[in-house]
Amino acid sequence: MKRYLLLFVAFILVFSVVGTFSSAKPVAKAQDAPSGTFLGTWPYTLPPDHHLNGFDASGLDTNLGVVYRQIVELTPAYYMWATNEYLPMLATEWGFTEDNSAYYIKLREDALWSDGTPITADDVIATYALARITNYFSVFSGGYISDVVKVDDYTVNFVFAGEPSLVAERGILKSSISAAASYGDLPQRALDMIASGAASDSEEWAALKTEITEFRPAQLLASGPYTYTLDDVSDSYMTLHWQPNSIFSSSVKFGEIRLWAGETEATTPLVLSGDIAHSTNVYPPSTQQAFADAGIRLLIMPRMYGPALLFNFDVHPFEVKEVRQAIAYLIDRSENAFLTNGLGATATVYMCGLLDSSVPVLMNQEDIDKLNRYELNRDKAAELLESVGFAKNSDGKWADADGNVIAAEYKFPAEFADFSAAAQNAIDQMNEFGFDITPVATPWQQTAQDIRDGNFELSVWSWASGSPFSSRQFFGPIQRFNYVGLTDGQKGMNFPMEFEYNGETINLDQMIKDASNGLDIEVQKQRAGQIALIINDLMPFIPLNVILSTEPWNEDLLAGGPADDDPILQNPSADHFIVLYLLNGTIGPAN
Amino acid sequence: MGAIPFRRTDQPVSQPSLWSLSKRLLRAVYRSYIFRVTVQGILTLWVVTTCTFYMIRKMPNNPIEVKIDEFQTKQNLTYEEARSKVAGLFDYDPDAPFIEQYTDYMGNLVQGDLGRSITTGRTPVSQQIAKYLPWTLFAVGLGLLISFVIGMIAGAAMAYWRGTVFDNVMTAFASISYGIPDFVIAFMILLIGGIQLELFQVGDYIGSVDPEIKAGFNPEYIRSLLQHVLLPVTTYVLASVGGWMLTMKSSTISTLGEDYITVAHARGLSQRRILFGYVGRNAMLPLMTRLAISVGFVLSGSIIIEYIFIYPGLGKYLFEMTGKRDYTTIQGIFLVTSAAVVISNILADLLYGVLDPRVRVGSK
Repeated sequence: MKRYLLLFVAFILVFSVVGTFSSAKPVAKAQDAPSGTFLGTWPYTLPPDHHLNGFDASGLDTNLGVVYRQIVELTPAYYMWATNEYLPMLATEWGFTEDNSAYYIKLREDALWSDGTPITADDVIATYALARITNYFSVFSGGYISDVVKVDDYTVNFVFAGEPSLVAERGILKSSISAAASYGDLPQRALDMIASGAASDSEEWAALKTEITEFRPAQLLASGPYTYTLDDVSDSYMTLHWQPNSIFSSSVKFGEIRLWAGETEATTPLVLSGDIAHSTNVYPPSTQQAFADAGIRLLIMPRMYGPALLFNFDVHPFEVKEVRQAIAYLIDRSENAFLTNGLGATATVYMCGLLDSSVPVLMNQEDIDKLNRYELNRDKAAELLESVGFAKNSDGKWADADGNVIAAEYKFPAEFADFSAAAQNAIDQMNEFGFDITPVATPWQQTAQDIRDGNFELSVWSWASGSPFSSRQFFGPIQRFNYVGLTDGQKGMNFPMEFEYNGETINLDQMIKDASNGLDIEVQKQRAGQIALIINDLMPFIPLNVILSTEPWNEDLLAGGPADDDPILQNPSADHFIVLYLLNGTIGPAN
Repeated sequence: MGAIPFRRTDQPVSQPSLWSLSKRLLRAVYRSYIFRVTVQGILTLWVVTTCTFYMIRKMPNNPIEVKIDEFQTKQNLTYEEARSKVAGLFDYDPDAPFIEQYTDYMGNLVQGDLGRSITTGRTPVSQQIAKYLPWTLFAVGLGLLISFVIGMIAGAAMAYWRGTVFDNVMTAFASISYGIPDFVIAFMILLIGGIQLELFQVGDYIGSVDPEIKAGFNPEYIRSLLQHVLLPVTTYVLASVGGWMLTMKSSTISTLGEDYITVAHARGLSQRRILFGYVGRNAMLPLMTRLAISVGFVLSGSIIIEYIFIYPGLGKYLFEMTGKRDYTTIQGIFLVTSAAVVISNILADLLYGVLDPRVRVGSK
């Protein structure tokens, strides 16, 4: 028996070693497809969790993500942040109707699905009918659009529920259009449901919503130059195959898009070994350095958020404005940024709730000039604390007249290397200044829950967002983690959003919600300026720094990557340059 | 010695009644070790299931909140927008009373239904476990087998030649190997072996099998399977073999000092017979118990190893589902792994009795 066991083990070992050094992969190529394989990564799931439904949370959005879904199911247009303009994709024309009651898009008449059938207004109508029942698109969940109307075979009007909105425009132009034929009779039933006037909280509406989300399309009809089936999804990578019928089929330079599974830990060795040519994952500074040392270029792009120091306004003395302002002055944000993400983070400059790169676009210069930049000034911080009754005690700690030291627990998510580094450095700097701050590392879900529940004293979470609109950038964290944006009695930061300010009663929550309404950019700038100045003065949170995306780009495998000063690198992940550069053939395989 | 009482043949034979037979049978069953450990095992599983059911739901966030967080972060939605998008997507009501959720779950469980995944399109949990379990059994099971065999042989040799250079070197290796976390070994294999020394192309060893090769019982597919399991198995072996070696060495040394070994030497028995017939068999006893228990833990996989090598085992899946707070899936995996540990513990007890006739774990 023992002999057999030993023989078996020896057999396994020998077989493994033989297999190791004699592998050869046959790679099937579609006829007429361009040569070369783009080697990227995306953390998709495996079938049966992985499916081809574009209106379910575990469908295409999860498995292709915001980057790769757009090369399979095209959007009407592509947004360039540097020039604030949309470039045509599936649509040739778009805009507000003359009376501004609706937004229209006109599709390219030569656009085809991967099965060769034309892409028409009926597909747009079907897409929005399914999205309306499932509340899947922001134009519906945000209440911007009340109806979607077919004008002719290639033109669709989106009727505004209220005033016309640039936010809705982005929602319309950035949403992928799905093929009606992939969803059987569901689009028609959705249209019938909407036409019947059924309420969105009715049972029949909910039943149809369930039916739509549980539907599993047998095939993915693609408008982009790549498509795939569930057979192309393996546990190590999934492969998108070139298809000949897209308007971009002749311009793309890759025959396949191979997306490796896994997050940062799994993809790090694959990037170093050259199995992945480009990755959108977040890598810590030491790994970035390893990539650079290996000759792999790092592309730097905005990530449109950063860590913010959050105050609980129920915890004394953080409800005192001067204390918060003092903290803003005492933290060296450049040091904090470097320790957060190496060269992939920059210190916040304007300290007003809008990203520094967006401030010149979203605000008037007059208002920008009024912003206090809270440049490092510890004397000023001390002065502010003294102005509200604090003084340093014999231990070198700041204490009030009763001897109560400024002390707090600072909760941060242990798994988020960037946020935890930002928090720990802020703690070090505050303690060095004379506070008594205790770090408390918790699992990220716990941290998020505690912030929502108001079960924290100081914490860290993101501020701003990847949107070109001020209302969305202001949203985090003073709405997202404050009572106005929470539910079920959660208090979050409990920063009062209605208050007296300069002799006026202010409803900051409503001001932010209205900030991007309408079409008048100048009016929007004025609104944004007002809000920014209030936030800049009250400092309800400290925007410590802005994190940049540092994405490895292997030039031994990829040609045509953007130069460092290419304006497209101002686009964040939501409008990733890969989408445009893959489709128009700017990037291709290296020789 | 007293006289044996004889029954007179003319006396009527009293037939045992059905009741007394049943009682005797029940008593025998109750006294049966297997019956008792089975009942004990079922009770253990019930307690584990109940505790995990409670603890899982006490984790911060729930499946809906996690998805809302994801939508808010990735798609820049407000809470209300994200919540309305998530509403109805998941077959889970966070407001349902705990006891109602528990009775529903247990009711389904006793009928053999592990429920449906909350976050992944209502896939049956049993289907998911059946999909991922074989990979874990293959990788971790193979790793366990190899490390056990190597550990036994090396440990016995270290004890037999204790104090020699061989012993010192192997003991140092075992201590280092046992002390390094498995994920560090995994990264060292990938970064040193794959990247620095370029011994292999990392991508060719990630995942479970080359997706380009058609599945089937053919040499190419089998070779691909073995090739892809090589790194996880090597990691597992390197991380665990030290423990087996040190335990076997310790056990062998202890056995070598027993009186019966001295007697065997005095009787002039051959070294080979002493080594295999006396020392090896007895020294293995503690390891067999540990092996049986380890078999139970095989099912839970090796989470980090599977995660790093993108190996589609149960451990990796558990990790992903825990992040999503997919309660039913986590619960199902915990139940299966708990059952495996309980069963392997029972088998370990029984096996011990078989290996060592002096130990009879029975009804007495």
